[in-house]
Amino acid sequence: MKKVLLATLAVAFSFVSFADEKKDWGYVSASLESNNNLYVEDVVNNFYPSEQPQLKDGNTFATNNYLKVDWYKDRLSAGMQVEGYFPSLVGFAVSQNKMTLSNLYLSWKDKSYSVTAGSFYEQFGSGLLFRSWEDRMLGLNNAMLGVRATYGWEDKIAFKAFWGIPRLGKIDDNTAMMGYTDSFFGLGLTDVQVAGADLSVSLSNLLNMETVNLDLEGSVINKHEAMAEALAAAGCKENNIGWSGRLNMEYDGFFFKGEYVDAGKQIVSVPAAMNGRKAENGNAQLVELGYNGRGLGLTVTGRRMERMNQRIYNYAGADPGYGTSVNMLSYRPAMSTQYTYMLMTLNPYSPQVGDKVIKAGEIGGQVDAFYNFRRGTRVGGKRGMKVHANFSSWHSLDEKGSVEGSELLFRDFSFDVEKQWTRKFKSTLMYCYQNYNKNHDMTGLYIGKSHVVVADMLYKWSSKLSSRLELQYLSSKDDQKDWMAGLLEVNFAPHWSVFASDMWNHGDTGLHYYNGGVSFSMSHLRVAAGYGRYRAGYICSGGVCRAIPAYTGANLSLTASF
Amino acid sequence: MKTFLLSLAALFVTVAASAQVPSVKVENSKGESFDTAALLEEGTPMIISFWSTTCKPCIRELEAVYEALPDWLEEVDFRVVAVSTDDSRQLAKAKSFAEGRGWGSDFTLLFDKNQDFMRAMNVTVVPHVFVVDAKGKVVFSHTAYVQGGEVELFEAVKKSVRKK
Repeated sequence: MKKVLLATLAVAFSFVSFADEKKDWGYVSASLESNNNLYVEDVVNNFYPSEQPQLKDGNTFATNNYLKVDWYKDRLSAGMQVEGYFPSLVGFAVSQNKMTLSNLYLSWKDKSYSVTAGSFYEQFGSGLLFRSWEDRMLGLNNAMLGVRATYGWEDKIAFKAFWGIPRLGKIDDNTAMMGYTDSFFGLGLTDVQVAGADLSVSLSNLLNMETVNLDLEGSVINKHEAMAEALAAAGCKENNIGWSGRLNMEYDGFFFKGEYVDAGKQIVSVPAAMNGRKAENGNAQLVELGYNGRGLGLTVTGRRMERMNQRIYNYAGADPGYGTSVNMLSYRPAMSTQYTYMLMTLNPYSPQVGDKVIKAGEIGGQVDAFYNFRRGTRVGGKRGMKVHANFSSWHSLDEKGSVEGSELLFRDFSFDVEKQWTRKFKSTLMYCYQNYNKNHDMTGLYIGKSHVVVADMLYKWSSKLSSRLELQYLSSKDDQKDWMAGLLEVNFAPHWSVFASDMWNHGDTGLHYYNGGVSFSMSHLRVAAGYGRYRAGYICSGGVCRAIPAYTGANLSLTASF
Repeated sequence: MKTFLLSLAALFVTVAASAQVPSVKVENSKGESFDTAALLEEGTPMIISFWSTTCKPCIRELEAVYEALPDWLEEVDFRVVAVSTDDSRQLAKAKSFAEGRGWGSDFTLLFDKNQDFMRAMNVTVVPHVFVVDAKGKVVFSHTAYVQGGEVELFEAVKKSVRKK
């Protein structure tokens, strides 16, 4: 394995050297990301490095590294990605001192067509039917290894088709799962095969409609999976076909998008049944409409998902729900505001795909409104003012996919106002109300309520020196009750930034989650170092949440891009 | 481990070739397919800024550029291309967000919902800005933003014009 990687690196070096000689050998682009943690025992935070599965023999250091190199020469490109875990960070799938080649591709792109062999990422429509992508925070990389071709007829018709083997990405070293093999250069491939095609027709361009944009789109996917007896008995088929149809319209700032997805047969856990599973038809509907223009941005989204589990492979063992959280072939994100302030992210919403028999899925929607009060208006004043409001509400579908037995899963409302008061001072005030389910997988019916207020103030002392202060308060009678948090950041442009923050649960545990750090960025490089105590929580994306255990320690991250 | 780190260090010391803007399909604000190679057709320098709705420094940087743009354009002729890396969860919101900020009138807005352009430009974290000269060569790039950092960015734009 090491020989293969070194040989690959040597090839990359040779391309780079050619580029350096200013000959017409194209150019190389590369990036490196390295995330390193040094863990410290913290009795108060209930964190013990010795209890972490990847930290063995008294080791308290872990590091995740990613190197990606691409070479471009006119219409030809090639590239690879190498990942190294020495060992993997706590909270990620356990990996001991392992370096793997995760992506490798060769691509030819002409004016109207392209062909890629090797690793590629793809998304059909919103991703509800099919998406392959990488999310390093989540430890997800379900790149396809195979062949993809695209063809476009002017700006009227776009067609793409592929065949490939999905990569499962990182999973436990010690976990043996059906459908997983690590023998092919460490690419982490499954033995599942996926073929798909997508067609997009621009009716407006075909019919020379100048003011309206109108597209009709459709996709089809076939997943081929070896059938174990338990899966066949549940009603699964070797070839599972899914399809979607989409309509996109835009006229003078008004827009409408509609998507219907039929995902074919999906596995549902049935705890009481003999073999613990059955197959049901998966489907989803997505609608987005709104208006963008004249300083106003308005979006209304509605979505219904029923039995949209869509795993890359189905486990044939006793527990059908067993497996890694990154085992997914589509993208089903939470359609609610993705907050960034500390106290607003304590209870994120995790969408319900309907993989358990008791609930078939979810239904709900959200409204977002952005408005810019321009300079010189009565409300906007001398420097303008920006306001934003969001409301989202999500309910479960009952066992039959109906709303009759529906229960509230999540609801939130938020409002924020951003105002530049003077050339030096700017503030953002935000309020958020959340109804959240205590269990991130929404299995419980415990609904908590919280109110959060945030004041975010930025002051520019000079052209190079500025400071930012965040003050936050969460009020709740539920769960861990009241919290407060503060963050102070001092920036020395253009390279340095230092910060200190604390999140204090004074309503129940009395614990402080302190954090401090410094970052330096120059040109292609960014280095950040910090030390702190981190609360257990979840990182959610695409319909899955990765549990982040509580930990205390120092971290060093490095990113470089060329 | 040592071999790995040494290999990485050697690679990054060696990489010095001037990168360009690859051809990748993204979306424009109307939802139409847009080939990033078309960005080079105007033959003027440009700032390409990768941002997302959940990245506060990205928004602060684009706001700073938006505020300073009228003054900058009096000195140099260039464009600003703001590439949203928001995926389907935030895509519609990103379009409304950008319009709510008034960016649509001054920036070229592109939407990279499966991060294909971001990957092709080897962007790992946002904000990440590139300055591309009139010939399509990347002459400056910067990761992260601290308040006031836009001055360095504009200096790079002016330098790219002088190079021409």
